[in-house]
Amino acid sequence: MDNAVNMVSATRALPLSSRVARWFSKSWKHFILTPLVLLWLSPMIWIVLTSLKTKVEVFDPDAGILPAVLNFGNYPATLSVAPFGTYLLNSVLVTGSILIAQLVTITLAAYAFARLEFPLKRLLFSLFLLQVMFPIYAIFLTNFVTLREFGLINTLPAMIVPFVASGYGTFMLRQAFRQVPSELSDAARLDGCGHLGILWHVYLPLVQPTLIAFGIISVVTHWNDYMWPLLVTNSDSVRTLPIGLGLLAKSDSGADWTRLMAGTTLVVSPLLLVFVIFQRRFIDSFMHTGVK
Amino acid sequence: MSSSKFTLSRRKFLAATAAIPAIGLAPGLIRSARASGPVKLQFMYPVGVSGDINRIVSGMVADFNAQHPGIEVEAIYAGSYDNTEQKVITSLGINEPPSLWLPINSALQTFLGLDALEDITDLAKADDIYDDFLPGFLNTCISDDRLYGLPFQPSTPVLYYNKDAFKAAGINKAPDTWDELFEVAKAVTLRENGELKRWGLTIGGGWHDWMFECYCRQNELVPWQKDKVLFDRPEAVEALTFWKQMVDGGVMPPASTWQGSANDFLAGHTAMLYHSTGSLTNLRTSASFEVGVAFMPKNKTYGAAQGGGPLMIAKNQSDEKKEASWTFARWMTNTENQAKWSRATGYLAVRKSAWAAPEMQSYLAEVPAAKVALDQSQYAGAFLQVPGYHRVREHLKSALDRTLAGEIEAAAALTEANNNSNREIQRVMRRQQS
Repeated sequence: MDNAVNMVSATRALPLSSRVARWFSKSWKHFILTPLVLLWLSPMIWIVLTSLKTKVEVFDPDAGILPAVLNFGNYPATLSVAPFGTYLLNSVLVTGSILIAQLVTITLAAYAFARLEFPLKRLLFSLFLLQVMFPIYAIFLTNFVTLREFGLINTLPAMIVPFVASGYGTFMLRQAFRQVPSELSDAARLDGCGHLGILWHVYLPLVQPTLIAFGIISVVTHWNDYMWPLLVTNSDSVRTLPIGLGLLAKSDSGADWTRLMAGTTLVVSPLLLVFVIFQRRFIDSFMHTGVK
Repeated sequence: MSSSKFTLSRRKFLAATAAIPAIGLAPGLIRSARASGPVKLQFMYPVGVSGDINRIVSGMVADFNAQHPGIEVEAIYAGSYDNTEQKVITSLGINEPPSLWLPINSALQTFLGLDALEDITDLAKADDIYDDFLPGFLNTCISDDRLYGLPFQPSTPVLYYNKDAFKAAGINKAPDTWDELFEVAKAVTLRENGELKRWGLTIGGGWHDWMFECYCRQNELVPWQKDKVLFDRPEAVEALTFWKQMVDGGVMPPASTWQGSANDFLAGHTAMLYHSTGSLTNLRTSASFEVGVAFMPKNKTYGAAQGGGPLMIAKNQSDEKKEASWTFARWMTNTENQAKWSRATGYLAVRKSAWAAPEMQSYLAEVPAAKVALDQSQYAGAFLQVPGYHRVREHLKSALDRTLAGEIEAAAALTEANNNSNREIQRVMRRQQS
C-alpha cells in the first residue's frame, strides 16, 4: 500500500511524456490481452445475444448483431421443453459425487504407486494406464451389463459408479507425489505419522494445484457427458442437463437456434460462475502444474 | 435356542441348500402375482424435428395411459435416431428390450437381422391397417410380404425455394425436370465481380445419400435390394454425373452440412434447397422471405425416398406385453392422433382417413405446402433398407463427396462404393447367421 502511494506521488512529479511512457511500459500487456479477451468472450456474447433474438432475426442478413427487441421469451420456452431444474440438480449431484469419489480413490492409489513397494506394482500400474487408453465407447456394453446386475439402471448412481476410479487422475497424481522430496515424508514418519497421516499432512497440501487441475478436467468432462447418461437413464427424474440440450439440437430440421442458445446459456452459466469465483485458485494451479 | 452359538447341523444345511432354487424362483412368483396390475411397457423414441415433440409425445402417452387403465406406457426420450438405435440394441444385448421403439425405417433389416421384431401381419390384416394406411408409407415396414411395424412419422425430401429470389430473376414457377432445375439454378445464382453471393441450389449435406436415392428413383432405379446395393447401375451414374455438372456449372456447392444448408437457405445464401419435409415448419417460421415448396424435379419419373420412422414391437417379450404394445401402436396411429400429430410436427399423417379429417383439411388450406409432400409421397419408397446400413451410407456419401470434389470419376466412385457396401452387407449377414 505504501509503495503504491509512493509510486503515484512519484509519477505525478514527472513530465507528461515520460508519464505516458512509464504507463505504457507498465501496461503494454493490456494491448495484447484485450483483443484476446474479446476473442475469447465473443462466442459467449454471441450465445447470449442469439438467445435474445427471434427466430427470423437469427439468419436475416439485414438484421444487426444486436437483437431489435430483447426477447426473453426464449428462456421460458426452453424451460418448458424439459424439466431443466431437475436436470440441473442431477448434474450437480452426479458431477459432485464423481469428483469426491475420484479424489479419494486417486489419492490412495497414487500414493501406493508412488511410495509403496508391493508385488506386481509395475504390472498393475500398466493396467491403470491401459484404462486411460480405452475409449469409453468400447466398454459401454460391459459397463451396462454390470450396472444392470447391480440393479442400478435408471438411477443416479448408474452415472457415478463407472467413473469413481480414474486411471488418468491416478497417473497425474502419482507423478506429482514423486516430485515431493522423500525427506519430508521420512521426517513425518519420525514424528509418528502413519501412511494416512503422511498423506494428509505432507503430500496433499503440496500437490493441491494438481488436485485442482484434475478436478476441473473431471468436472467439465462429466458435466458435459451425453451418451452414457442417455444410455443408462430412462426417466426425467434422473437425467442430466446435456440431455435437455440434446432435445433442442434436432437432427431432422436444423437446430432451433434461439432456444438452443438459451439452453446453452443456462447449462454453461453454473460452470462459468464457479470458475469466476475460484478463478485465482484455478489459474494458480495451472501455473504450478505447468512449471513442473 | 438354548445356545447363542451358531450351530449348523448337516440336515439343516442340506435343507437350506435345497431351498435355494425355490428362493431363486421367488421373483418369478412375485411377478406373476403382480400380473393383475397394469401391464408396463417401455417406449423409446427419438426427437428429430423440434424439442416440443418431447412434450407432444409424452402428452400423447399420458392420454393413452389415462384411457387404458390396464396398460402403463413409460415414454423414454432416447436422443437422435442413431442414439435411439444404440440404446435399443444395448437393451437387446441383455435380453431386456423395450416393448416398442421408433427407429428410422432404414433400420428395418438391422433389427430383423437381430431377430428383434414381432411380425404383426395377421393383427394388421384383421384390422383396417392395409386399407387405410397410405401404401407408400406401409411399404417401408414390409420385408418378404410380412409387416414389422406401423409407420408413425414419415418424411420425404422436397424442394424448397426462395420466392423473392425467383421473382427477382423473373421466374414464376418451380422447376419440374432436371433440365429445368439446372436452368433455374443458373438463373438464380448470384455473383458480383466474380464473387459468389448466392448459390442456385444446395442439396442438404449429411443426408445427401438420401437425396441421391431420390435422384436414382427419379431415374427409375431403386438402388438397393434386401441383401445388396446397386450403386454401379448406369441410372445411378447418370444421376451423380448430373450433380457433378451442376457443381462444375458453378450453381451448386460441392459440399454442405445438414444444419448449415438450412441456415444458408434462411440467410439467402442459396435460392433452392433439398431438405426434409420435417424442416417445413422451421423454415416457414424462420425465413424473412416467402418460402415455396415443390416436388423434387423428375427425370424419367417423379421419385422420393422415405425418411422418418415406424413404431416397432419387440419379439422378445411376454404375449401379454405384445398385445398391449399392439394396442398402443394402433392407438398412436389412429385417425384422430395422426391428424393431430401431423399438424403439430410437420410429419406426414400415415392414414388416408386422417388427411380427410376436417381439421387436416383446414390445415392444408392454411399451409398448402404440406400438400406437396403428401402428393409426392405416392412416388416414394423405403430408404436403403439393407443390413449394416450405417456403413453403407458412409461408403455412398464418401463416393458422392469425392466425385463432387473432383477427386474421382462418378462411375469409378460408385463402383467402389458398391463393392465396399456389398462386402459390408455380406459380412453383417454372415455374422448374423452364425
